Amino acid sequence: MASLSSLNTSFSGLNSQKRVLDVIAHNIANATTEGYHRQRAELQSLGRSSTSGVFSGVSQSYGVDVSGVTRAYDVLLATRAVREDASRSAANMMKTSMATVEGVFPEPTDLGLAHQLDVFWGSWTDLANDPGGLASRTQLLENSAGLVTNLRRSSNDLQAISDGATARMNTIAAEVNDLADQIGNLNRTIGSSFGENLDLLDQRDVLVGRLANLTGAVARPSDANGIDVYINERAIVSGTIVQRVDGTAGPLVWMSDNAAVNPTAGEAQALTAVINDVVPRYRARLDDIASTLVTQVNALHTTGYDQSGTTGRNFFDPANLTAATISLSIDVAGQPANIAAGAPVLPGPVAPGPLDGELARRLAALADSAAGADTKYQSMITTLAVETRSAQGRASIQEQVADNAIRDADSVGSVSLDEEMANLTAAQRAFEANARVITAVDEMLGFLIERTGVVGR
Amino acid sequence: MRVTSSMMLRSTLRDLSQGLSRLQETQTKLATGKQITRPSADPGGTSSAMGMRQDLRRAEQRSRSLNDAQGWLETADVALTSALGSLGRAKEITVRASNTGALGDPVARQALAAEVRSIRSEMLALANSTYGSRSIFNGTADGAAYGATGVYQGNDASIVRDVAPSTSIAVNLTGPQVFGTAGGAVGDVFETLDRLANAIAAGDATAIATEHANLDSFRTVVGAATVEIGTRSARLADAKTRAEDSRLLMTTQLSEVEDVSIVDALITAKAQETSYQASLQVAAKILPPSLLDYLR
Repeated sequence: MASLSSLNTSFSGLNSQKRVLDVIAHNIANATTEGYHRQRAELQSLGRSSTSGVFSGVSQSYGVDVSGVTRAYDVLLATRAVREDASRSAANMMKTSMATVEGVFPEPTDLGLAHQLDVFWGSWTDLANDPGGLASRTQLLENSAGLVTNLRRSSNDLQAISDGATARMNTIAAEVNDLADQIGNLNRTIGSSFGENLDLLDQRDVLVGRLANLTGAVARPSDANGIDVYINERAIVSGTIVQRVDGTAGPLVWMSDNAAVNPTAGEAQALTAVINDVVPRYRARLDDIASTLVTQVNALHTTGYDQSGTTGRNFFDPANLTAATISLSIDVAGQPANIAAGAPVLPGPVAPGPLDGELARRLAALADSAAGADTKYQSMITTLAVETRSAQGRASIQEQVADNAIRDADSVGSVSLDEEMANLTAAQRAFEANARVITAVDEMLGFLIERTGVVGR
Repeated sequence: MRVTSSMMLRSTLRDLSQGLSRLQETQTKLATGKQITRPSADPGGTSSAMGMRQDLRRAEQRSRSLNDAQGWLETADVALTSALGSLGRAKEITVRASNTGALGDPVARQALAAEVRSIRSEMLALANSTYGSRSIFNGTADGAAYGATGVYQGNDASIVRDVAPSTSIAVNLTGPQVFGTAGGAVGDVFETLDRLANAIAAGDATAIATEHANLDSFRTVVGAATVEIGTRSARLADAKTRAEDSRLLMTTQLSEVEDVSIVDALITAKAQETSYQASLQVAAKILPPSLLDYLR
């Protein structure tokens, strides 16, 4: 009967609008929840013809039903946002690391190695001007010690940056293992739960995003709402099976076979580059500078004569050819009189006069040597400056790209309070209208019950 | 495009923090007075600043060498000028001694001979002139150039100072170069003066004439040495002027590369501050309103 079916129809309307209201309340409550995607109750009209009745002929039932709740999730935009955010976190980490490396070399100031090299060579000139003075010799030894200390400090500071990166890698490995475990667990929960649990999907996406920010991991859907997560094409999570990584030695390795993980993005990628490339490269350049210094100075110094006519002494210890180990030779350390300032008199060679400063003059001229320590240091600083600047540039570009990608994904998924308010009003009105229909039907039925069949009473 | 308040919040925060970090950068420049606070701030500028600083320090080093060289040459000049004067007096005495009247008077001869001997020791003292504690006519040897008997104790090494890029000047003359080489028929100036004194004392006119001629040739040699030292001094003075000029130029250039232009930086800072305040105000205006404010 039509009027009774209207009651049912309106009742389904009331129910559905209540459901819509529930979803809106959920959206508003989660407006600021990380990784939450707004949800929508999908309404579907129920229009099916029912069996023909005795009195009414063909009758129809009407109504509305909530066919399901979906989340506003664009897989393409969301994946892109995760990928770009992972690249951003790699670029940012690289920028920070390069700035730290740059901080080891305070140039151009009077505190840097360039200044100390200049002072060192200048001391040789002073010795050439006054080969007999103890002051100029002591000064030279002091300045050499300063130069040696600075070279060692720079090399050690670089190593400390690498050590810091290794320590961070250790905590990253722990975080990665923890995140992978959580994703595996969520895969299990989602796979075994009845129907779709949208909030669990959001939670899992957040975890994948964090994993990507650390390692550049990517997620691919597998069966039964599960996802597999890959780092550089090797699965860290497949369904509920989780692989573990280890970072105790610095760059991440798979625990199962000790193979390198080689993250493709994220913090771990930048830190791997710092440990494997940046720090070793600049330390090698410092070593080159140190060994050039030792070799060039010693080559001349061994031919020179001190005031007592002794020759063949090294100035720097020839065995220590790296920046971390460079030291004065035991012959001259603490013994300023043993510094050779005199050049051999040719032919012979024979010892020069005790006040000869010619060798010191030639040593001072090494400052302008084309393949000398000064030139190499300047070129290293230029390389470092350019590399740091391009790391900064990449970071700021990636910042923009990632922001845009996240904004695009957000434009689909994030909760707009205005929109929810509008929907809330609509649902409220619809609820009221449905209630109104029920009142109308009630009045109609009441009219029939009250007024009909009273003739002849 | 669908825009939500969380998106606006995110982008507003980013813009604000970018504005603030730009402001901080300018602030650092103003506080340090340096355009290049770290190498990556300006790789090209860093490279040229490092080169200029190096050049500047070399120039300072060279100017120390220049002053040292100047001291050497001035000392030598004084010594040589006095030596010329002494030799002139020796010549006068020789002329007086050549006078037959004097030759006849043994007392006068002894007096003249004594005077020549005192000139010889004066010359020895001049030959042992020192700059600092170092004998300037001694080569690279230690101690006095000439012993008490007039024997040269030094060597023939020349002493060189770098006074300009790839320019060096020898700052010394050795004893033999100035006063002649000992031994042989003529010997050095001290031997000549010795013989002269003996000849005057003995009244040997022929010997006096011979030594007179030798004396003249030594005056030429010492005179030439004086001129040589003078020439080097002139070159040194040139180099010094050029060094001062280029030092001034380098300091100016370095300042142009390294130092902040205060006016520019202040204007930039002001502009950035204004834009930061503007974005703060806009953020405060656009963030709160939503449909909630209008639904009653």
